[in-house]
Amino acid sequence: MVDIRLNATINGRKVSRDAKPHLRLLDFLRDDLNLTGNKEGCGAGECGTCSVFVDGVLMKSCLMPVAKAQGATVDTIESLAKSGELSVLQKAFHKAGASQCGYCIPGMVMAATAALRANPFADREEIKERLGGNICRCTGYQKIFDAVELARDVQNGRLPSTALLETDTADGDVIGKSVRRIDAPSKVSGRLKYAGDMIMPGMLHVQVLRSPHAHARIVSIDTSAALAIAGVESVITSADVPGKDGFGVFVHDQPIMARDKVRYVGEAVAAVAAEDALTAKRAVAAIKVVYEPLAPVFDPDEAMREGAAIVHDYAPDNITKHIPIRVGDVEAGFAESDLVIEENYSTQAIEHAYLEPEAGLAYIDHDDVVTVVSPSQNITHHRHMLARIIAKPISKVRFIMSPVGGGFGGKEDMIYQGMLALLAMKTMRPVRLVYTREESIISTAKRHPSRTTLRMGVTRDGRIKALAMRMVCDGGAYGLSTEGVMRKAAILAAGPYNIPNVRIDTFGIYTNNTPSGAFRSFGALQTQFATESHLDIIAERLGLDPFEIRRINAMRDGATTHTKQKLGSVSLMRALDAAEQASNWEAGAPTVRGPTRGDLGHDDVRPSVTLGARFAADDKQEAAE
Amino acid sequence: MARKRGRGMAACWYGIARTATIDRAAAWAEIDDGGSAKIVTGVTEIGEGILTVLAQIAAHEIGVKPEHVVIGDNDTARAPEAAHAGASRQTYMIGNVVALASREARKRLVDVMAEMWDVSAETIHTGNGEIWAENTNHRISMGEAVACAKNRGVVPIGSATFGTDTTGIADGKGGDGSGRPWQAYVFGCQVAEVEVDTITGEVQVLAVWAAHDVGRAVNPQGVEGQIEGGIVQAIGQGLMEDYQLKDGHTSTSGFAKYILPTSLDVPRVNSIIIEDPDPIGPLGVKGIGEPAMVPTIPAVMNAIYDAVGVRVFDLPATPEKILLAMREKARREAATSMQAAE
Amino acid sequence: MLICDEYVTPGTLAEAFAAMERHRGRYRVVAGCTDTLPWAREGRAGDVEIPVLIDVSKIPELNERQVGDKRVRLGAATPIQRFLDDAALGRAMPAMPRCAVWFADDQIRAQATLGGNVVNASPAADATPCLEAHDAVVELASAKGKRNMALREFITGPGKTQLAEGELVTGFDCDAFPGYGGSFEKVGHRRSLVISVVCLAVMVKLDRDGLTIEDTRLAIAGIRPVPRRLREIEDHLRGKRLTGALLEEAADMPLDLVQSRTRQEYRRDVVRGFLVRGLIAAAKRAGASPDALTQELEAAYG
Repeated sequence: MVDIRLNATINGRKVSRDAKPHLRLLDFLRDDLNLTGNKEGCGAGECGTCSVFVDGVLMKSCLMPVAKAQGATVDTIESLAKSGELSVLQKAFHKAGASQCGYCIPGMVMAATAALRANPFADREEIKERLGGNICRCTGYQKIFDAVELARDVQNGRLPSTALLETDTADGDVIGKSVRRIDAPSKVSGRLKYAGDMIMPGMLHVQVLRSPHAHARIVSIDTSAALAIAGVESVITSADVPGKDGFGVFVHDQPIMARDKVRYVGEAVAAVAAEDALTAKRAVAAIKVVYEPLAPVFDPDEAMREGAAIVHDYAPDNITKHIPIRVGDVEAGFAESDLVIEENYSTQAIEHAYLEPEAGLAYIDHDDVVTVVSPSQNITHHRHMLARIIAKPISKVRFIMSPVGGGFGGKEDMIYQGMLALLAMKTMRPVRLVYTREESIISTAKRHPSRTTLRMGVTRDGRIKALAMRMVCDGGAYGLSTEGVMRKAAILAAGPYNIPNVRIDTFGIYTNNTPSGAFRSFGALQTQFATESHLDIIAERLGLDPFEIRRINAMRDGATTHTKQKLGSVSLMRALDAAEQASNWEAGAPTVRGPTRGDLGHDDVRPSVTLGARFAADDKQEAAE
Repeated sequence: MARKRGRGMAACWYGIARTATIDRAAAWAEIDDGGSAKIVTGVTEIGEGILTVLAQIAAHEIGVKPEHVVIGDNDTARAPEAAHAGASRQTYMIGNVVALASREARKRLVDVMAEMWDVSAETIHTGNGEIWAENTNHRISMGEAVACAKNRGVVPIGSATFGTDTTGIADGKGGDGSGRPWQAYVFGCQVAEVEVDTITGEVQVLAVWAAHDVGRAVNPQGVEGQIEGGIVQAIGQGLMEDYQLKDGHTSTSGFAKYILPTSLDVPRVNSIIIEDPDPIGPLGVKGIGEPAMVPTIPAVMNAIYDAVGVRVFDLPATPEKILLAMREKARREAATSMQAAE
Repeated sequence: MLICDEYVTPGTLAEAFAAMERHRGRYRVVAGCTDTLPWAREGRAGDVEIPVLIDVSKIPELNERQVGDKRVRLGAATPIQRFLDDAALGRAMPAMPRCAVWFADDQIRAQATLGGNVVNASPAADATPCLEAHDAVVELASAKGKRNMALREFITGPGKTQLAEGELVTGFDCDAFPGYGGSFEKVGHRRSLVISVVCLAVMVKLDRDGLTIEDTRLAIAGIRPVPRRLREIEDHLRGKRLTGALLEEAADMPLDLVQSRTRQEYRRDVVRGFLVRGLIAAAKRAGASPDALTQELEAAYG
């Protein structure tokens, strides 16, 4: 390798040092200079967490070989608040509540800085356009736009700088006040260290070998060539697990690395700890695994049929969980209905896409406690499971939850922490694993794809007499949270409505697809999509306003739920009224009224976007000419 | 008109905290030297803003400013169990338990001062970093009060545990699903306004009005943040995101193919916070993280139908799905009118 | 991950050719790197080891720019962002700024080069239909000499070009169209960082009264292996009075443009609508008279 002698000015300081020729500017900043404020969210220029200024122009440092920075002036997020005093924009992000998990925020602050440099008077639409290269998964962007507008107005003197200060809580009552987030300053300045930003002395780097097969028996794994590579400290497989292997939120059906067979593409098969990530990568490539392909099953309905491939021996019908809800007699309810409508709905698998890919460190501390630092949403349960897997008392296992760069349910699974713990125990050195975006997408849980048949019977006056729903979900190769998702989906499936006759069945099914797991709204999103779509179909047929049909059936104070729980106060009517009033809803049945509605396009609706907000001024000028 | 607008709505309900099991959380509180508060609990921030909410709650209960609350957290070896970060449970479970622990710590301090000042504890108030007894001249800083307590051999600490009165549901073989899965329920309703480009089939969600019951909003800006973020994630699933598999292999392994909503793909969100206090917990709070996402997709699909008369039953509602459904509808209608003409 | 042993940044064409000769069979030429780095990842090429990367983006000839009334010459390393920053260039190539604003995002535009977009030869590339509408000529150079080739001959298929071993694209020679109105219509699945399912570049020149189409240029991409110039439509429109009926007539010409394997029906529908919408937008920017472009027409297609 021919190192590059890089001379550059980085955050105002001269830097002159050797760099490996294959490094990207992002690697050089983060790994060689320990400037970890800017993050790697995707490595492919698609998210903007790595945005830095190069000679004053904002660029994605994951798309830039470090050699391109030769002689350049580079400014990272750390440059904006060098003295500790936040920039106006950073203060505005703090004030507006523009940071949530914070992982996209360093890049977002950089993009916002660039936007206001390009046009200090940019309006909201132009700001949106100029932030178009930076993805945020938490905030929905609203508070980010608010922050940039606030900073713009303060910078232009249209607002006083006091607009950036804390909400007044001098009256002593702090509940109900929009107090600024206490964790925002470290997020907007890039100071907060996520697991992938942390380093420990003597730390090894971990890489994982993953299954190329959806369903196959593991005939043999030969790690000798990998172990022979200089710099490789340890290679582990399921054979190295000292205790009772298996994790999962409900059923412990997933080994920390594939045992005997692989059940999905991307499943961990072996892991390597080496002096650097590149060596670990090369060692992974040197592991030889012989597979014997097995017949796979990819469709959950097929998986339920007799003779389908069996994913787990303990569940020969491939049913991970079936949840029934029964109230009254649905057939009788349909019989007394004036209108019965049945439709099929389906939802797709989606990815959590938290901007922080999975990452973690593990080490053995001075008390022989196996310690795992990772953005885990469930350190309590992970500790229990890991103790059993590594055959240690619970007191000798410690989980520390590092700042979570977005979770949404996707970090509830102990998907990689077991490998880290094992490698730390094997090497007695700190080990760190940082997933690539692709690894995160192929190997971690998705939202359950669903197929739902919904049949609803109503009387002419809009009363729901019966509801029957059957939902089949693809749970993928392992159980993870499937059981809980099926339960919540079923309990909430019929919506907040009084329905005397209900029959709901939700099924979570094993297949050889990427596992499905916990995802914000946990099954209720799938079932209520069907129910709430269905109500509009029925409302159209009955000539009822959509609010009206819901009010007719709405649970009120003291209602009994479909699981026969008696409720106290029920706020549904208040929510319906509030949304109807706030939106100035024009009443009427949902009969494709769009073209004739009178309630469209109020001030609280954004303009339609056609790209080119930055041309708007030019266009006006052209029009004037 | 090439661009057609429409509106739709949907309602939702949701259970707060863990489902069909007894949920629990614990916390420790200490009023520290100098009059700051120290809170320790097992699981906190995943980005939703719970650290700030807990600081507000501790500040409110103890009588200090939120910026004088220090939170130690997220370590199974150093903090009491608070279970997990999910299930829309953080404000409900951990917020409530931090309130209870803070109250106990405050009571320790107040009892010392009541004895010192020779007043009844009920007449003592705390707020904004001060402690005072009503109708007296006794008023000192919390820092001075802590020093007083320590001089008398008392460290003002508190601890608490908070559990739910819930049950499993009868979901075994032959079961009817009955049970008490949650003790707090929330309800919500959203209206969406969309524009459908009938040349490309693209849907723009221009606005969402979101009314959600959160019990009690500790930090309204944080509640809005959850609603706005949830709505945009739902729009991602409703309109564009699609993890695709063929024979177990994905073709969407990166963000070039697995596409997410950008700043140009999001609506204006108008949040309406409804406060129907939870009667069981000490604070009246409930939760918002997950429910915010539930009504968005059906509201948007209902709005698309309102605009162009086509309904999407299989997500996501991509431009081609919309356009082809419109063409299909036009063909059907043409055939019907032809038949009618004959 | 893209792994190399050496990263070479030649300062002149001669140095570049020398490096290419020296590392024959072991190198890859890069410029903006905005596609090369994402290419070397899982799901695409995976980990790639290339012994030598030769970065040509610093070579002066590849960064030249001459903007005249008749011709525009652009070095191959011209970043896409330049079409937004350079007003004179935007006037000479009026569809290009509209294309650029849709191209990836502000940051990638600052890195990605025109030459890279062409050499990649992606059927969904945004800049190539614009260049095609300008009758761009690709300038090629190697140690042996220079040659020129029309863009439409240079790109032969998805990812395929006539670039020879040891050869570099140095620049593009294009017709300039000052006074034309430009538009760029594009649809994907979102509005930023979006890959085209269909994209269309349009330029229109009208007479002084804004009533008659003096000239027009159209090129389309995303729907077939290579971009296609729509000369039939240009010929049909040239010299005719601008009316909604004329534009619709042009859009309905039976050209069977869509050759993609997927989403054919969808693409056909979009193409028709885009032709009218794009022509309206370009004509409007070319100063169309309100008598020609009625509000009804704009509402029907805008």
